[in-house]
Amino acid sequence: MRPRWLAVAATLPLGIFLAAFVLLPVGEVVASAFPAAGTLSGWANLFADPLNREALGNSIVQGGLSAGASLLVGYPVGVFLGRYDWPGRRLVRSLLLLPFLLPSLLVVLGVADLFGPGGLLLGLLPGLGLLGRGIGGIVAVNVAFNAPMVALFTAVGAESASGPLEESLASLGTPPSRVYRDVWGPPSWRGALAGALLAFLFSALAFAGPLLLAGPAQYTLEDRIWSLDQILLNPGGAAMLATLTLAFLALPTAAYLLLFPRLAPSGSRPAPRLRRQNLSPAAMLLAGITVGFATAEALLVAAVLDRTVEPVGGRAWGASWSLLFGPATTRSLGISIGDATLNTLAFAGAAAAIAVGLALGFVFARSLRPGAPSLLPALTLLPLLISPILLAFALASVWEPILGGPREAWILIVVSQATLGLPFVIQSLSVPLDGLSAAPREAARTLGAGPWTAFTDIDLPRLRGGLTVAGLFAFAFGLGEFTATYFLVTPSFTTLTVAVYRLQGVRLPGVADAAAGLLLVVSALAIAGLALGGGRGRS
Amino acid sequence: MAGPDPPPALEVRGLRVAYRAVPVVRGVDLTVAPGEFVVLMGPNGSGKSTLLRAIVGLEPCDSGEVRVFGEAVGRRPPHRRGVVLMGQEPGLFARRSVFANIAYAAGIRGAGESEVRATVLGLAERLGIGPLLDRRPTEISGGERQRVALARALAARPRVLLLDEPFSALDVTIRAELMADFRSVLAAAGVAVLQVTHDRAEGLFLGDRVALLFDGRIESFGPPREVFDRPSSVRAARFLGYNTVRENGVWTAVHPRDLRFVPGEGAGRRGYLVAGGPIGGGARLIVQLDSGERVEIEVGPAEPIPPPGTRGTVGWSHSTELTDPSP
Repeated sequence: MRPRWLAVAATLPLGIFLAAFVLLPVGEVVASAFPAAGTLSGWANLFADPLNREALGNSIVQGGLSAGASLLVGYPVGVFLGRYDWPGRRLVRSLLLLPFLLPSLLVVLGVADLFGPGGLLLGLLPGLGLLGRGIGGIVAVNVAFNAPMVALFTAVGAESASGPLEESLASLGTPPSRVYRDVWGPPSWRGALAGALLAFLFSALAFAGPLLLAGPAQYTLEDRIWSLDQILLNPGGAAMLATLTLAFLALPTAAYLLLFPRLAPSGSRPAPRLRRQNLSPAAMLLAGITVGFATAEALLVAAVLDRTVEPVGGRAWGASWSLLFGPATTRSLGISIGDATLNTLAFAGAAAAIAVGLALGFVFARSLRPGAPSLLPALTLLPLLISPILLAFALASVWEPILGGPREAWILIVVSQATLGLPFVIQSLSVPLDGLSAAPREAARTLGAGPWTAFTDIDLPRLRGGLTVAGLFAFAFGLGEFTATYFLVTPSFTTLTVAVYRLQGVRLPGVADAAAGLLLVVSALAIAGLALGGGRGRS
Repeated sequence: MAGPDPPPALEVRGLRVAYRAVPVVRGVDLTVAPGEFVVLMGPNGSGKSTLLRAIVGLEPCDSGEVRVFGEAVGRRPPHRRGVVLMGQEPGLFARRSVFANIAYAAGIRGAGESEVRATVLGLAERLGIGPLLDRRPTEISGGERQRVALARALAARPRVLLLDEPFSALDVTIRAELMADFRSVLAAAGVAVLQVTHDRAEGLFLGDRVALLFDGRIESFGPPREVFDRPSSVRAARFLGYNTVRENGVWTAVHPRDLRFVPGEGAGRRGYLVAGGPIGGGARLIVQLDSGERVEIEVGPAEPIPPPGTRGTVGWSHSTELTDPSP
């Protein structure tokens, strides 16, 4: 088979998946938002409702503030990571991925615990109470999630600058400020901007933060779509707001898609990182910001852990765990916590398998025709444009009738988790693939290895690190996914994130905290297991 | 009665390759006989590597034909052509041992375990890399890596072997030794070889026949001495190390050893010495002629080197008229 057709065949499953579970459902939702010609009164009503206008405003304000704050914190951390060599740098860089892998609900609870009433930090600095609730709390949650991403993108950008060019300029007597301006400043800002755009997208469509920390006055478009469909039983209004959300997301998504490909390494050697003897006062400032931020992130995780072991109502801490696994919790949830744990693991595992399988087909095709122009890489980022609530709403609208109602909700939960994780899984595999030398693959091909043999023998072992990261991301993403799952779930398919949320309002002392602890433990075990199992590859 | 001539090991007819509509290889015709070592020489950007990649199937051809021992292989994928390409970057599997690298090629063609082992050990001995078999490619030198790459290529039992500047990244001393070893090992293996290089000395030393490639076209093809002694164009003459000067409106090629620089007035072209210095067993002078050309002159070790700026005359004992003025 010719490479072109082999590549088409390898990406066919991904194309079918995206068409069936993204394009078709979202297209249906958009189409349903535009009823017969001349009946635009629905849109007029949509904009007339102050809650909808508020949701749009909240999304813009929260997205903007969160992106700005993430940039403010993430840029210096990224520069310190990308430009300086210091003990523990690699460890801190790995730990920055932790917030991505933590369930969003736990981060929200962590922020509430740190800064909220009775929080760990509130006693030390009462002014920080602003960050425990309301818009302050929402922005704090968003920064906790997104600033590490801005930092990592900044570091990648700074490292992509050409080392030989920088060294040449330095030897010509160019001052560091000019080297920054002419060599590594622009790529670091491109990275930071790409991270900030993603921060804006994720924050403008945050769901759990506004729901738990603020209430309807701070609802984003996501919360409002959920509220219209699930509380007010107005799917028509939800469809129109979902369509508006798509339009709202188009610009920042397009900007991100334009910036992201320009973050690739230049191909030349990066500049050596500066060592301790080169540390200027500016570097010390960067170090201080990095330490402060890492401490805050560590405290966040500690806060969640702390509340799970805290004695409740004078009872020993084990009591809340007993309650969690007892019949009262099962009655409240409609399912035992053990079954919810199994659901969580099964759904996340299936979603990860689907996402990684589809991504492997994609990277195999890319290995066949490296650099060949194709629309597919852009299409694989499509789920970024689709918010979790919009996706869940669209999947439920189109596929629930086909599947015979919500009885088969698990299918859609798995599909939604796989879809939302897909862009990150594909990036985790295709970016390392693009950075690999083609020489060993081509050598294997001319030595007699077929395309698939060359891919499995040569490329896949070299991609093993990326494959581990991709699988880990997809699995952890599924474990912690709350928004789409909460929208689609029925009691018998309750997952741990949904259980943690539902138990917040139940009068069983400490049970919600114990459930959060269980979620943290399950996530940590799964992540550690995957990381250890990833091992090292060979090629 | 004699039968029909056996087909060449490699036959390329009218091969054309373009990148984004820009032609890079413009209709190349070439043959390599069984067991023959052909060297394709040309400056950087002339299309040498692209031609090799197209022959092996790593680049799509716009038109043309590739035959291996008479079989048309142009529509086959790279792994079914029986043509192995060894590049300047050897493409060794970095995390496998030298043994595993060579064994890979033998294993791919379906050899059993004992045959793979015998193949690897035999090739390792012939190429002098026996003590390196347990090491990884990152733990050996550049020259050793090229030896491993050649052993791996030969383990695949190619019908035709293509070498893309295998010595260009090596220092001079290793290069000479490696060229000699490669030549003898490949001659013993009896495999047909097409090598590309931009180094004329390498090409003339290694090739049974050599071809000159400019702008994606082969300009001359034949035995090394013939190609070297009879450059047809200005660019070929310059590539082969000749000086090119105009005589009565006609371009001629003059070898540096056929030129003489005499300080002061005299018969010949007027000019001044730009620079001069010893090179190994003699010296080289660079002279700027008043007529605009700059020429290189090789002189014996006993001849004095005048100071830069010395004016004098340049004459030559032998020149070759160039029929093609292409620069």
